[in-house]
Amino acid sequence: MSEATDAIIRAQDLSHQVEVGAETLTLLSDINLSVAAGESVAILGRSGSGKTTLLGLLAGLDLPSSGTVDLAGERISAMDEDSRARHRANRVGFVFQSFQLLPTLSALENVLLPLELGDVRDATGRAKELLERVGLGERLGHTPRQLSGGEQQRVAIARAFAANPAVLFADEPTGNLDTTTGQQIADLLMALNAEQGTTLVLVTHDEELAGRCNRRIRMDGGRLLDAATEPSL
Amino acid sequence: MSGLHRLGWLSRRDWRQRDVRVMLASLMVAVGIVATIGLFADHLQRTIMTSATSFLAADRQLASSHPLPEAFRSEAENRGMATARQIAFATMLQGGEGMELVRVRAVDGDYPLRGEVEIQDAPGEPRRMVGHGPQEGGIWVNSRLLRLLDVAPGDRVGVGDVRLRITGVLVRSPDAGFDLAALAPRVMMHHADVEAAGVVQPGSRVTYRDLYAGTESQLSGFHEWLQPRLREGQRWRSVEDGQAGVSDALDRAERFLLLGGSLAVLLAAVAVAVASRQYALGQRDTVALLKTLGLDGRTIGRLYLLRLGLWGVVGTGLGLLLALPLFAVLAHIANRFLEEPVAWQVSPTALLPALVTAFVALFAFAWPPIRRLRGVTAMQVLRAAPGEQGRWVVLDLTVAVVAIFGLLWFYSGEVWLVLALLGGLAALLAVLTLLSAGIVSILGRIRGGNRAWRLALVALYRHRRSGLAQMSVFAMVLMLAATLFLTRSALLEDWHRQLPEDAPNHFLINIAPEKVEAVGDFLEAHGMSFEALYPMVRGRLVRINGEPVRQAVSKHDEIGALNRDLNLTWMAELPSDNRLQRGQWWDDTGGEGVSVEAELFEEMGLSMGDELTFRIGGQQVTAPVRSVRSVQWESMRPNFFMVFAPGKLDNLSATWLTSFHLEEGRKDLLNELGRQFPAVSILEVDHFIERIRSIIAQVTRAMEALLSMILVSALLVMAAVVSATLGARQREGALLRTLGARRGLLVGSSMLEFALMGLIAGFLGVLAAELAVWALQYRLFEGSFRLHAELWLVLPAVSALVLALMGRWQLSPVLNVSPMLLLRRLED
Repeated sequence: MSEATDAIIRAQDLSHQVEVGAETLTLLSDINLSVAAGESVAILGRSGSGKTTLLGLLAGLDLPSSGTVDLAGERISAMDEDSRARHRANRVGFVFQSFQLLPTLSALENVLLPLELGDVRDATGRAKELLERVGLGERLGHTPRQLSGGEQQRVAIARAFAANPAVLFADEPTGNLDTTTGQQIADLLMALNAEQGTTLVLVTHDEELAGRCNRRIRMDGGRLLDAATEPSL
Repeated sequence: MSGLHRLGWLSRRDWRQRDVRVMLASLMVAVGIVATIGLFADHLQRTIMTSATSFLAADRQLASSHPLPEAFRSEAENRGMATARQIAFATMLQGGEGMELVRVRAVDGDYPLRGEVEIQDAPGEPRRMVGHGPQEGGIWVNSRLLRLLDVAPGDRVGVGDVRLRITGVLVRSPDAGFDLAALAPRVMMHHADVEAAGVVQPGSRVTYRDLYAGTESQLSGFHEWLQPRLREGQRWRSVEDGQAGVSDALDRAERFLLLGGSLAVLLAAVAVAVASRQYALGQRDTVALLKTLGLDGRTIGRLYLLRLGLWGVVGTGLGLLLALPLFAVLAHIANRFLEEPVAWQVSPTALLPALVTAFVALFAFAWPPIRRLRGVTAMQVLRAAPGEQGRWVVLDLTVAVVAIFGLLWFYSGEVWLVLALLGGLAALLAVLTLLSAGIVSILGRIRGGNRAWRLALVALYRHRRSGLAQMSVFAMVLMLAATLFLTRSALLEDWHRQLPEDAPNHFLINIAPEKVEAVGDFLEAHGMSFEALYPMVRGRLVRINGEPVRQAVSKHDEIGALNRDLNLTWMAELPSDNRLQRGQWWDDTGGEGVSVEAELFEEMGLSMGDELTFRIGGQQVTAPVRSVRSVQWESMRPNFFMVFAPGKLDNLSATWLTSFHLEEGRKDLLNELGRQFPAVSILEVDHFIERIRSIIAQVTRAMEALLSMILVSALLVMAAVVSATLGARQREGALLRTLGARRGLLVGSSMLEFALMGLIAGFLGVLAAELAVWALQYRLFEGSFRLHAELWLVLPAVSALVLALMGRWQLSPVLNVSPMLLLRRLED
């Protein structure tokens, strides 16, 4: 099989501009990128280099100004918002830098959220199982305010894997955590990724975390740097 | 305090917070609505009073059986008030060949101070309204008297020693009212002719009346001056003590306005409480941070008190500004419907309830949760403490209930109204608490249905804490609105029942026993519906259990029925609109005794079995009290304070009376009736009934306006409550969209969730409203109670619909932007 047919994510000639007042700001230009199923890819770059925008477009959270994005066999750049949403619900998981847990819900309810969007049997059982897997089996009823940062990110990881996604997008998953906790979270993320056979795309500043991925991609000024793709050690 | 000064800028940032804006808006709406209702109620009261005072021909009357001192009137005139004099007495009127006993009203040149007199130049001529009584030397008599005496306008009739020329036919005087005791035909003459007539002798039964008119403050000032100078037997009367029908309608309308105002107060308090609680929750982190920076609890307490005071002033000010144009519009609309529009004025006392409401809402409802911010630990900056403890909620609730009780009491002065509303609310909360546990546990298990439906149920379960609180508020708001709606309907129904289109509007009295059958035949032959013909003798209650009435009843002088002859009757069957309250009605086998009207029974402090002795003509009749009846005085049917068992009064000479309905166009029949039965007196009360109807129509319009205002404020409160969790809901919506929820699914589930809340709240609201109305009806409005099936269907449906729309509305900001943008907002 060629790389192209094997790819679970493929971006071609991807560009993205936004209007800010009278000015047009180019966030991304000429991005061509493929990610194979089961691969883990780290996107590295300075703040403002366009990492998160790329992640969002690859995940179908927004539409590019030009170019195409294929995700898990569907051309999501040609879909309307509702179709992309359905696609996200079935195939995509997210982990965010600031966790994005709903403060009024318990850990269990937060993990249940994506399960409620799909037709999942025994959603509660699955959510509990995942929380136990991330080491929070005793904290099911706690709200985010009662959990530490590391614990909150564990809940977020459990939520990301809840709906059995094909691809997991992580935006600076350790960015808000201390080194030790960050390490633990990275371990957990990698371990779950391996267990579930998920494709992982993560945006990070952290060279060490990036080093644990199969491939590293560097960005600057909205472009992929030449020879950006480097296999990890 | 220096810390306060330095941190003053913090409160400037408050305006940007949604919770603060919601609290301010709630306060503004609360103050606005209460103030508008206050001003409008005041306006209506003055309007109604002005049109109703014409029943007294003045604003107030002072009546006595002895001449009233000149000093009273001159004092009133010094105070800038208008006065007039009147003497009422009975005398024989001589004319043509015969003589007739008449009730004379001798009025001076200033009469009437309010309203107008309706006269004709001759029978059959057009009726016209005039603002004066007859001139000196003239007399106005009614058309029946013309027939009885066989005289015509222009002829002279004798009153005592003077002869007066008939210058008009008296159709209606503004203070004629409706009094069966006044059996004789009425005439009106000039005050100045009374002395020459020589008919008023020491000992003769005369009523002297001074009439007063002025502004409300002049009247109350004068009354204050007058009170200590009043002697026994001098009675001060206002419209309320005037006519049973009118005062009843006014009374109920006033209560309705009070009820409406109280509900507005309650709604306001709820909105402010919800918003401030939300604000306090949102401030916990800020307070923790301030404490980390070294601020102590006291300074923080002061800082927040200062901010609350500031919002109070701004919210109240804006509320008053809102009230003025609202009131002006309402007053304008009301005046368009009124016969006698009243200039609108802003009375400071009408604004007082609004200010008190603002104060209580701020300090009893908003302050407690904010005050507790002092207790937030600095540690919270690092790690959130568990949520608020239960005992605080209980304390808050207690403070709130006490405050609401006090506020409503202050506002309405009606303990029963307050108890009924609070009882309804308590029942609502109890049922809600019981139900919620059940509903929530059921919701937790439901997993069927389509996706939106399942998501809605799950969301309802997930939001059970905030949802339950919101549902309680919705249910409360719905209960209050439903209570008002039901009360209004009940009032209208009651009024309509008492004065149906075919209510009797004419009375026939003085029917001789031998003419009873013939009169009945006449009425039947002409298709005039009448209920029955009642026998009647006139008699005065003189002894109770052998003791003179004056000694037996402490309030003797205040009870009108004890100071005049009463109409006594006997009957075998209880009249259809009387209700037996105590004792037993006599059966067919006979029996003895008297049945007493319920209010009089209470006023006199009677007991069952008390022996009542009446003086009837030259005889005395004694009978024991056997039963107590409620009487619908407004029904315009013959009603009696005292009803005897058949047989007891048989040997006394009785006359008979009846009432019937006659359409305006068939008035000619009265002439025919008068010709066939010249001795029978015809009492026309159709104009009086029309007046009551027109007042009721005004009151009804006012109630409708008030009801719509309350409904609008109910919607505002519901919107405020929904917006309290707006931030959290939108955050959730944004996240769900990122996680892959389609817009349709989000909208569908959110609308369903809110519709379910609305449905449950609607049912609970109706339930509590029925309870409150049941209590109100019995205590305040004396109506009969029934369940309102239509409301059980309509209210839950409407509230489900309204809330579904609110559920849709609250999501709009997260529906139309890309998840990418939402995500960035979430990250901010």
